[in-house]
Formats: sequence, C-alpha cells, structure tokens
Amino acid sequence: MKSDHRIILSLAVAAVLSACSAVPERNEPLEAARTMVPQLEKSPRAGVAATDISNARKSLDAANRLAESKAKVTDIEYEAGNAVTSAQIAHEKILTAEATEESARGAAQRQVVLAEARGREAQASERRVESLEAQLADLKVKKTERGLVLTLGDVLFDTGQATLKSDAHGTLDRLAMALRENSARKALIEGHTDNVGSDVSNQGLSERRAQAVQSALMERGVARNQISALGKGENFPVATNDSAEGRQSNRRVELIFTEEQQPRIAADQP
Amino acid sequence: MNQSTPVRRQQTLPQASANHSSKNVVAVALGIGLFGTLSACSQVSTATKERVTETESWVQQTQQTLGNSEHGAVELQQAKEKLGSAKSAVEKGQEQQALRSATQAHLYADLAVAKSQSANARKTANDVLAGIDVLRQETERTTPTQR
Repeated sequence: MKSDHRIILSLAVAAVLSACSAVPERNEPLEAARTMVPQLEKSPRAGVAATDISNARKSLDAANRLAESKAKVTDIEYEAGNAVTSAQIAHEKILTAEATEESARGAAQRQVVLAEARGREAQASERRVESLEAQLADLKVKKTERGLVLTLGDVLFDTGQATLKSDAHGTLDRLAMALRENSARKALIEGHTDNVGSDVSNQGLSERRAQAVQSALMERGVARNQISALGKGENFPVATNDSAEGRQSNRRVELIFTEEQQPRIAADQP
Repeated sequence: MNQSTPVRRQQTLPQASANHSSKNVVAVALGIGLFGTLSACSQVSTATKERVTETESWVQQTQQTLGNSEHGAVELQQAKEKLGSAKSAVEKGQEQQALRSATQAHLYADLAVAKSQSANARKTANDVLAGIDVLRQETERTTPTQR
C-alpha cells in the first residue's frame, strides 16, 4: 500500500516537473497574430484600416490574456484567429490604398506626357509654318484664319486665258518644292476673276486657271491628294472692280495651305 | 487476524458512509448533467440567431459582389463553411459556438471583399502605368523629343 502511494506520488511529482520544464506548445495563430498586428500598427497607412487594426489588437490582447491564464487552446486560437483575419483585412485595405494612390499618380503622369506631346506638336507645327513661310518669303504670303494664303497675281496668265505664261514657271517651281518638302500640308488652289464678262464665263475661267496651276504643280512632283483646285469666279473680290488696279488685284489665283492633320494619339482618350 | 478484524469493521462503517455519499455525488452529477443536456437542447438566444441571419445576408451579399472573381474566392468559401457551422450550432443550441462561427464567417466575408477590392485596385494601377508607357512610346514616335 505504501509502495503504491510512493509510486503515485513519484508519478505526480514527475508530471508536475515535466509540466514545469517542458517548453509550452507553440500556438501558430497566436504567434502569427503577434507578428502581424504590431507591423500593421506601425504602417504609415494604418489610418485607412484603423477599425480593422483596432479589432485585430483587441482580439490579440484577448488571446494573450487567455494564453497567460492557460485557458483552453480552442479559446486562444479563436481570438488569435480573429486577430489574424482582422489583420489580413487591414493589410488588403492598405494595399488597396497604395494601388489607388499609384493610379492617381499615374493619371497625373499621363496628363504630363500628353501635355508634353502637345507642346512638342505645337512647336513642330510652328516650325513647319515657319519653314513654309521662309521658303515662300518673297512671295505674297499672308497668315489668315484659313491658314497660310499665297496670292499669285494675274502675272501667271494672259488676259482671258487659262494657259500659264512662261514667266510663271519659276514661281511654280518654288511652290512645288515647298509643297514637296511639306508633304503633310494640303493646298487648296482657288481661281478668282474680275467682273469683266459674264458670271458663267468668269466661273469657267477661274476653274480652268486653278486647274492649270494644279496640273503644273503635279507635273513638278506634287502629289495629287495634296492639292485640290476650285473656281470661285468673280464672287470674292479683294478690291474694287471699278478701277483697272482693283480689277488686276481681283484677277488672281490663291493657294491656301491648310494646317497639317496630325494622326490622333490613340491613347489620348478620355 | 483477530486483531485486524475490528479495524476492518471500523473501516467498514466509514466505507458504508462513503458509499452513501458517493451515491449522492453521482446523483447530483447526473442532475447537473441532465440540466446541462436540457440547457443544451434549449434554443440559442435571439441575439445570436439574429447575428447568424445577419452574417448569412452579408455572405450572400459578398457572393454577389465577388461574382466569379477568383480574388477572395477562397475566403468566401471559408465564410460559407463558417456560416454552415454557425447554423448547425444554432440547431444544436450551442450558443457560443454559433456566435463564434458567425463572427468568423463575417470576418472571412470581409476579407474576401477586401482581397477582391485590393486585386481590382492593383489591376487598375498596373493598367494605368502600362498605359503611360505605351502613350510615351506613341507620342515619342509621333512627336519625337528634339535632342
């Protein structure tokens, strides 16, 4: 009987000692929560997930208290698990905030890229205009709302004729060269007359003269799709038809250089 | 042997008494057990039931929000499983288990939504950044920087 007691006592002491000396079993959810929650609390973006971080902290504190009081593992794991899940929610919210900020920065950056491109395009356009202007500097060129307008007086044609005079060739050579070098620029050729003669004959004459200039430019290598011809007759005088000088001004061919059509930047969508 | 007999008798009397009191203890324990069983069979509180119902609604809402998105799908499944546990616990009258499972289901549903939103935001950001590169290349092609 005595020996039984001794055995039981020895076993009990051994059990107590082993319980005291054994390393406490590692609780994975609790360890995970202990790692995650403080990290999130330190995050500079903790504010976007304040409620979730607070919930995670409460659950972690509860889990720690339960662990200290050696409560049931299931109870500890329940609180620790909630702490981990709340921390994960907070983490995802922080990632969302980061990505949203990146998108906003990206949108601003996109506007900068577009603005730079527009600036470069404006400069290039200006250079092209300057180039064309320089090339045609000694001709009668005016900047108007319609674009650059070059007026060729009646020196190109004999009176009532649509055949180009030989004197016109030098001017046409230079015009053709300027158009070839600025192949993206379109030119509209308009024929105009004074009011001598009938409307119908003046209309026909203006059309033939415009076409004569168009043909001459095409013969000099200007692309067909770059130039178009139109007769305006006597309807758009630039001076009075009551004087010889005024009528001379009205007998003219104008070349209107339109602005270059740039290909639209595909990504420049709203 | 003769000396030991009275001793045994002396032991017998308290033993009888102990037997009697242990019967009482058993009876009390049985009573408590029966009470506990009856308590367990009783319904859980209205508040807990409402909590489970509310969680069910939230999980369904989350399901609709996520649709077929793969982001948050795992967490949504966990939410559904916990909701199932909560409902089962309600049927069994397990108050604490029902409440805990409902809480966990709610948290998993929250996590599913957060993961889905995070993935969407990341995709948007990546698209914006990739778009800038494309735009930069395209504008450089159409309007090259003067060097």
